[in-house]
Amino acid sequence: MADTLGAFEQAVLLSVIRLGEDAYGRAILKEVQTRLGRDVAAGAVHATLERLADKGLVASRLGTGTPMRGGRARRFYRVQAKGVRALNDARATAESLWSGLRWPLKGYL
Amino acid sequence: MSMTAHPPRWAEALLRSFLKPGDFESVSGDLLEHYRDSIYPARGQLCADFWYATQVFTFVSPGVRFFALLFSAQFLTRTALDWFLPPADFHFRSIVSTVVGIGTLAAAGSWAAWRSGSFAIGAIAGSLTAGIASITSIAGAAILFAFWHDPQTRTAIRCSGGFEEVVTLPLITILPGALLGAFGGAASAALKRLLAVPNSNNHPQA
Repeated sequence: MADTLGAFEQAVLLSVIRLGEDAYGRAILKEVQTRLGRDVAAGAVHATLERLADKGLVASRLGTGTPMRGGRARRFYRVQAKGVRALNDARATAESLWSGLRWPLKGYL
Repeated sequence: MSMTAHPPRWAEALLRSFLKPGDFESVSGDLLEHYRDSIYPARGQLCADFWYATQVFTFVSPGVRFFALLFSAQFLTRTALDWFLPPADFHFRSIVSTVVGIGTLAAAGSWAAWRSGSFAIGAIAGSLTAGIASITSIAGAAILFAFWHDPQTRTAIRCSGGFEEVVTLPLITILPGALLGAFGGAASAALKRLLAVPNSNNHPQA
């Protein structure tokens, strides 16, 4: 069975997939903020990426630096097969939970 | 956009202490890029430096937070015992809580130094643990007092050193926290070298 993902982990993994070859720390942070529509701490995204890497859901490689970054390298992330399976499972679970219900929910209060 | 703007050196040093050695370059590069590209041009030096410092604190490792909560829980337990179950003699309680507190701060430093391989980071972790715990301990004691301030409890508080002690004691542990963290860190870093354990960098490579 694939790993169970939290909502924030899904947001980070999907951002990595959307960004493709450009998925590095700052770009992922901006993508997550845009998709969630709120400010997100850089440390939260870093901790999540670290956790996902520990679980083998993402892998990373160091790229080159730029003058804007003071020459410091970017770390690029890529979702692994295990990460794709976890996302598919998360989507299937959500769809199963919602099946038969109309969205947005109305009249249940 | 400013290619020469630079965040405070102390904040970068602190960031280095929070991260695994292999992560500092990429993470500090991300923050510097955002600082120069977006924050500094829009908000100016002072606000940009404040933004950078707040971002650095979001990297405080979960381990430091765990030890801070543990230290704070110990302090609040002792406070609650003194207020609600006051002893005739505080000597035994003082010894136990001091030993447990020393152990917690040394363990925080030891843990951080083991992770990073540097005893200096143990000192920072020890003082941060005590610093974060100070805030939660004082807030916790204030909540206790807000709910229980009957005459009997007020007498017990006075006999146990007064509310001033509850407020000042956590704050004065910050400096000893650094020393104990350094002590624990030195022991841990030495043990790590002795066992020749490499520093961790858990990112699998793509």
